Amino acid sequence: MSSIHRASAGLKLGVSLALIVGLAALPAERAWWGLGALPWLLLVAKLARLSFKPLLRRWAFGAPFLLGAASLAWFQPHGLAAAAALFSKSAICLLILQLLASTTSIVELTRTLRSVHAPPVLCETIVLLARYSSLLGDEARRMRRARAGRTFHTSRIREWQALGNALGLLFIRTVSRAERVQNAMRARGGA
Amino acid sequence: MHIPDGFLSARVALGYAGLSSLGLGVACYRLRARRERGASALLGVSAAFVFAAQMVNFPVAAGTSGHLMGSALAGALLGLPGALVVMTAVIIMQCFVLADGGVFALGANVFNMGLVGCVVGYCCYRLLCGRAPSPTRRVASVAFAGWCATLAGALSCAGQLSLSGAARLSVVLPAMLGVHALIGVGEAVISSLIVASVLRFRPELLESNAQGALAARPRASAVYAGLGLSIAIAGLLAPIADAAPDGFSRVTQALGLHSSTASPSLAPFLHGVPGVVSGVLATVLAGCAGTLLLFGLCWLLALALVPRPRSTEPSRGAVVESSG
Repeated sequence: MSSIHRASAGLKLGVSLALIVGLAALPAERAWWGLGALPWLLLVAKLARLSFKPLLRRWAFGAPFLLGAASLAWFQPHGLAAAAALFSKSAICLLILQLLASTTSIVELTRTLRSVHAPPVLCETIVLLARYSSLLGDEARRMRRARAGRTFHTSRIREWQALGNALGLLFIRTVSRAERVQNAMRARGGA
Repeated sequence: MHIPDGFLSARVALGYAGLSSLGLGVACYRLRARRERGASALLGVSAAFVFAAQMVNFPVAAGTSGHLMGSALAGALLGLPGALVVMTAVIIMQCFVLADGGVFALGANVFNMGLVGCVVGYCCYRLLCGRAPSPTRRVASVAFAGWCATLAGALSCAGQLSLSGAARLSVVLPAMLGVHALIGVGEAVISSLIVASVLRFRPELLESNAQGALAARPRASAVYAGLGLSIAIAGLLAPIADAAPDGFSRVTQALGLHSSTASPSLAPFLHGVPGVVSGVLATVLAGCAGTLLLFGLCWLLALALVPRPRSTEPSRGAVVESSG
């Protein structure tokens, strides 16, 4: 836990938003100014003791999408410059967002959402989303192991059919489990 | 379809943030007004499911990939307000946990995939389903609604990009619609698979929604019809306004490969309609033909997915009724 991790989520969110809005407001000819934020962002990553390799890998995973979207700007007057400006802007924004995501926990996020008076239903759904994702993953792993145990030999079309059935079944099994959890919580006086 | 930060101008981002928070506010208000027992668990599970399903990418033609959007599916399972809350939660989580889609563009993303996706998906679903749908009809409706919702979301996304000056509408619109017409097919298949399983094992999850347990009571189906139709008309008029074929030829010429490989677009329809001189008419005709074709495919898919009822059951019921 570095000092960046411990800083309040509202502050981090505010700073990131201010930076991103500033970048969005830059005119296309001045988009290169955005690169000035890069050393500061790297400093923040250093202070947060994030290792650069995973950060870079995640950035490189998102960058092709940015490139694809930016290339749509090619087809207008001064298209190449516009596309390059868009790409550099959005690449910096992506880095900011990744720093924010990797230093903010879900608990803090929901706390911040509550404090800005986001609707309680939404906050509750986000908390349950985080809770049930791991449940869903466990259930999926169990079902995959069961299928692997029973299937000796399969064709591709059978595999797709099985996958389709498994998706539906996964949803139903998790719904049933969630209902059990909800009932248990209600029995103890919660929810 | 997640718009990253840096593509939208401040005016567009703020405008759409306002629109989607308005929609979200209405949805939360209506959810709180008729809160059911166990509803929050169902919302949470659906959100987790959509979140997980969105991480699975399937390949689409020409080197792009797509994933499930899930708003039509959520609409069918949870009703309009519930679906909107679920989609918003998913988009917020993706933004803050996976850095997928921008913070400043959050409002626009919620508008495209949440508001537009859910409203169009839910309207199509309810319109096609009617009052007491058979399982086949329900599955076909979900499939077609999923396709329509994907296309509508792509349309709105293209509009935002061109409003911000990131790209010309005549370029971004055909590109987005072309790719998402294919992604929508994947969406239709996955949504219908899930709904078919739910119908087989837990049909009451869909029935309770039809009676309005989680859903806001539909005031009049005319409202939904109007909403869906207006968005559909906007979808048809937008390419006409900006002469899509022009953009098409420019994209295909510039990229080169798109014209030779199986094109991820409506381009073959556009240029191939015989005896139609006007490009605008060709666009409309191609759109209608493609949509009708897709609806037929959805129906076939539903026929394949829903098991035939055993022939003894209905006849026995009929005998009992006639004798009693």
